[in-house]
Amino acid sequence: MILRYDGTFEGFLTLVYEVYHQKYKPQLIEKPSLHPKLFDEAIEIEYDGSKSQKVLEAMRQKWSKQDIQRVMHIFLCDTKAFELDLLNYIKLGFKNAKELQNINNSSVFFINNLEKELFRHYHRYSGFLRFEELEDGTLYAKIESKFSLVYLLGRHFSKRFNNQNYIIHDIDRSLAFVKIGDSMDVRQVSEFEEPLRSASEEKFQHLWQTFFDSIAIESRANEKLQKSLVPLVYRKYMSEFE
Amino acid sequence: MKKDIYAKMQILSDSAKYDVSCSSSGSDSNYKTGELGATHNSGICHTFSADGRCISLLKVLLTNYCIYDCAYCVNRSSNDIPRAAFSPRELANITINFYKRNYIEGLFLSSGIIESENHTMELILRVLKILRFEHKFNGYIHVKLIPGSDEALIAEVVRLASRVSSNIELPSDNSLKLLAPNKTKEKVLQPLKIARDLSLERDNKAIGMSTQLIVGATPESDFDILKLSSVLYDKALLKRVYYSAYIPVNDDKNLPAILTKPPLVREHRLYQADWLLRFYGFSYDEILTSQAPNLDEELDPKTMWALSNLHLFPIEINRASKEELIRIPGIGVRGAHKILKARRFKKLGFDDLKALKISIKRAQYFITCEREFQREIALYPENIRAALIKPEPKKQPSLFDVSGITGEL
Ligand code: SF4
Repeated sequence: MILRYDGTFEGFLTLVYEVYHQKYKPQLIEKPSLHPKLFDEAIEIEYDGSKSQKVLEAMRQKWSKQDIQRVMHIFLCDTKAFELDLLNYIKLGFKNAKELQNINNSSVFFINNLEKELFRHYHRYSGFLRFEELEDGTLYAKIESKFSLVYLLGRHFSKRFNNQNYIIHDIDRSLAFVKIGDSMDVRQVSEFEEPLRSASEEKFQHLWQTFFDSIAIESRANEKLQKSLVPLVYRKYMSEFE
Repeated sequence: MKKDIYAKMQILSDSAKYDVSCSSSGSDSNYKTGELGATHNSGICHTFSADGRCISLLKVLLTNYCIYDCAYCVNRSSNDIPRAAFSPRELANITINFYKRNYIEGLFLSSGIIESENHTMELILRVLKILRFEHKFNGYIHVKLIPGSDEALIAEVVRLASRVSSNIELPSDNSLKLLAPNKTKEKVLQPLKIARDLSLERDNKAIGMSTQLIVGATPESDFDILKLSSVLYDKALLKRVYYSAYIPVNDDKNLPAILTKPPLVREHRLYQADWLLRFYGFSYDEILTSQAPNLDEELDPKTMWALSNLHLFPIEINRASKEELIRIPGIGVRGAHKILKARRFKKLGFDDLKALKISIKRAQYFITCEREFQREIALYPENIRAALIKPEPKKQPSLFDVSGITGEL
C-alpha cells in the first residue's frame, strides 16, 4: 500500500491520524511528485487541520518538548525519505514515550541519526555560509544545501549580526530568511534579481583570499584532508576556493 | 616603499601561521542587543586551509618586525625577510569586515616586538579598544600577551580580550637559554600568572589561557612535555596546550637541520595523550614513565596504556561504569554514551555495538559482551599489538586529525 501526503509537517500529522483510524499499513509514503504516473495506486491523504491538531495535541500530552521538536526537525531534512521510519517512531512513542530513547529500535536510531545529520549540516554551514555586502549595507548570503537550513541559520546569525540587516537565500527552495531592523521572518522568494554589491566588497574578498592562501603551511599540504573537511558541494559560494 | 594592504596581509599572516592554536570554542555565548558579534561555545570552522587546518580566526601578527633574535623563529631580527606592520585601525577594520561576511569568529592577534615590549602591548591594546568600543564588537579576540610588558597594560588587555595566551615555546629552561636568550621560563609565565590572578579576583573564573610548545627542536622527552602540560593544567594556569612539530625555518647550529621533516606523528600522539589528560581522567604518569618516556608511534596512547595494563581487561560492556568504558581503546566519550543509553533497554552483544555504529576494530580485544568475546587473538600484549598494527598501513596524520576534533580515541 502506498500513501501520499502533501510533504508538510501538518500534512503528515493528518496522515498519522488516518493510519490510526483507517488501519492503513503503508509500505511506502510519498511526497507529491511532479510527474504523474500511469498506474497510480497511491492513496491521497488530504490535509485536514482538525485531524492534524488532534495528533499534535496527543504528542504534546505524552512526549517531551525535545521529542516533538525532533519530529519538526526531521521535516527540514526534506530530501530524505524518512516517512516510514517517522511513522514507526510516532507510533512507538504513542505506545510508550520512553521507547523514543531506545536506540536499539531501527526507526528510533534512524530518526535520531537524521536529526544529528541535520545538526552537523547546520553546524558546518554556520561556518561555511558567506555573506556579501550589498550597496545599502545589507549582508546577503546564498545557500544551496540538501536540507532546509535558512530558519536555523537565520536564528544563529541573529545573535552575531544583532545590529545588521541580513538575508539568507535558499536558492533551490526559493526561501529566504530576512532580518531587517527588529523584524525577522522566513519568506517565499517569488522573483529574484541579482542585487548590487557594495564598493568595498571586492577588496575584502581579495584580502580574504590572500589570507587564506598565505596561512597554509606548504610542507603540510594535504588536499585530500582538505576535501574531506570542506567537501566540494559546500564550496560554491566560498570565494577562497575560486 | 609603502606596502599595499594585500602585501601586508600576505606577510603578516604568513609569519603567524606556525602558531597552531585555532580554537575559538569554549566561550559562553555573550551577544548583546544592538551590537555586533557573539562567541559560540562549540568552535566553528569557517574554512579549512590547504594543510587541512580549521580556520576560525583571523590569525595575524600586528607586525613581524622584531628586536629579538630567537633561533627557532622566522621573524628573528637577523633574518632577511620582508617586514610589514598593520596600523591598529587598519587591522580592526579588516576584522570587522571579515566578521560581517562570516569568514571568521574573531581575531587572533600576536606580534613581534617592535621598539619595546610595552610599545608593542600598547599597539595591541589600541586594536582591542577600537574593536570593543568603537565597533561594539563582542566576538572572539585572542591576544598573545607580550612577556615582559607592564602589569597595568597586561591587565587592560586581559579585561578586553576573550582569551589570552603566552607561548612557552620550549619545554625547559635550558632549551630556552640556548635558543631564546632574552626569555626565561619565569618571564614567559609572568603574563599568564598576572592574567590568572586578575581574572580570579574579578569573577572567580580563570580566563581561558593557552600556550604553545614546540616539539622536536630540543631534546626533551614526551614524558617531560606531558608532565609540564599536566602541571600547568593543574595550576589552572592553562586551559589548553598546543603542540607544534618544529618546522626548521632557520639554519642554526643548535637546531635540527633545515631539511629535517617535522615530527608530525609525534605531535599527533602528544595531542592524543593530552586529550587523555583533559577529558579521560588519565594522569601523565599513567601514560608515560621516566623509564619509558616516549609515546608509541605505531599505537595511540590509550591502546599503549591498555596493553601495559592488560590485567584490567577485558571489560564487560554491559556493566562497566562510564569511566571504565572511556578507557577502552577505540571507544570514545560518544561511544560510551551510546552504550550507556542503549543498555538500559537490553543486554548488548557485538552485533548491537555494530548497529550503534561503534567500531570495535580496536575495542574487540579489550571487551566482553556477556558471553561474547573475540577468540582468535590471545590476550597478550605482543599478540594484540601485532593484530592491531598489521591491517592498517600507517597513514600520515594531519595537524588536527579528525579524531582529534571529535575526541574519539
Ligand atoms: S621575540 Fe617572538 S617574534 Fe621576536 S624573535 Fe623571539 S619568538 Fe620571534
